[in-house]
Amino acid sequence: MSKIEPIVGRYVWVTYEGTEYRMYFEEAGNPNGIPMICLHTAGTDGREWRHQLCDERIGKHFRTIAVDLPRHGKSIPPYDWYKENEEYKLTSTFYSGIVMAFSKALGLDRPVIMGSSMGGNICLHLAKDYENDVRALIAVEACEWSPGWHLDWLRHAHIHGGEVCATSVFGLMAPQSPDKYRWETWWYYSQGGPGIFKGDLYFYSYNHDFRGKTQQLSGKVPIYYMTGVYDFACTPEMTEEAARNTKNSECIIMEEIGHFPMSENPDVFNRYLYPVLDKIVAANK
Amino acid sequence: MFDTSWMKRWQDAVNANGPMSWIGKHLTADILLGFGDDDVVVHFKNGKIEKFTDQLGPETCYQLALRAPAESWQKFCEKVPPPMYNDIWAMAHPLHGRLKMEGDQKVLWQNMRALFWAFDRMREV
Repeated sequence: MSKIEPIVGRYVWVTYEGTEYRMYFEEAGNPNGIPMICLHTAGTDGREWRHQLCDERIGKHFRTIAVDLPRHGKSIPPYDWYKENEEYKLTSTFYSGIVMAFSKALGLDRPVIMGSSMGGNICLHLAKDYENDVRALIAVEACEWSPGWHLDWLRHAHIHGGEVCATSVFGLMAPQSPDKYRWETWWYYSQGGPGIFKGDLYFYSYNHDFRGKTQQLSGKVPIYYMTGVYDFACTPEMTEEAARNTKNSECIIMEEIGHFPMSENPDVFNRYLYPVLDKIVAANK
Repeated sequence: MFDTSWMKRWQDAVNANGPMSWIGKHLTADILLGFGDDDVVVHFKNGKIEKFTDQLGPETCYQLALRAPAESWQKFCEKVPPPMYNDIWAMAHPLHGRLKMEGDQKVLWQNMRALFWAFDRMREV
């Protein structure tokens, strides 16, 4: 019997601000379960979530959907990308807007949104601007401000973009995480489009700055912060600070794991994730 | 810890490493490693450590320097390094500042995969 995974991939055309985007997504789990959109980290794509998509316990109650943002993975850029006068820079407005437009295009009813790194940071913006459209946020490796990563070296004609994007994030993973998964994550990072990782990091290190704003979130949407102790870009202390300032939040610090929990060590991450998902299920019964 | 004997063992570990033979094919550079007050210039040629110089003089040239307290390098070299010490960037990130980079940083970015692979071999010494 062949080992065939339950993941199914499809494309959907999403219109946002007058532009059509062909977006790729993979899904698995209970088609009638709570919809949960998973957001990948900067410069890579939804493959990071393959273990959670295949997890039977998660799939029992959730329709889990991993989407590739435009310009990432199998989601092509808008057709006129090559004529743009400025290099690609992700902003919080576009990021949160395209995610919610994607949700609307699939007809999802107030999905849970779980994102890591920049996908974690965008959760704060979603809580601010779309609190009526989401039911819970799982902000993995998220904080109020994450400086230092928007570097021109990451899109430089004299430098191998794939190798350098992948190698510059490798140390964000914990040494305890299995080599096979750490190097799989490296592989994903080596495959981003030119300048995309750098452009995402514009959001991560510049455009996203919630210092002094987190306290103003209403608390209507619960936010579950989850950060690994080996994350040197968003340290546990940085996440704890964000959580202290967030009403209706919970902070979970994960031992022996780093910045890419879902892909670098899915067994450990899922053990931390299950109780969070159980709470979301209980709250939605 | 980072004396001539240790450097020789690290040189042997790098030069005997299988993947380094292809990962490091284009790595030719002179890198200064500062272990606290002790400086060593490592001369890479085609992915091998050709030699190292621990008696620096007016004719000793290098392109890039990576300087950190010896204690930071020791933690980096542990079999399972602690958080914030497991990677060059972890130590060098502006949030943490445990490792300083000086000189032509393009050399580092152009050779990052091979250099970091070579540094990881320090845990085998």
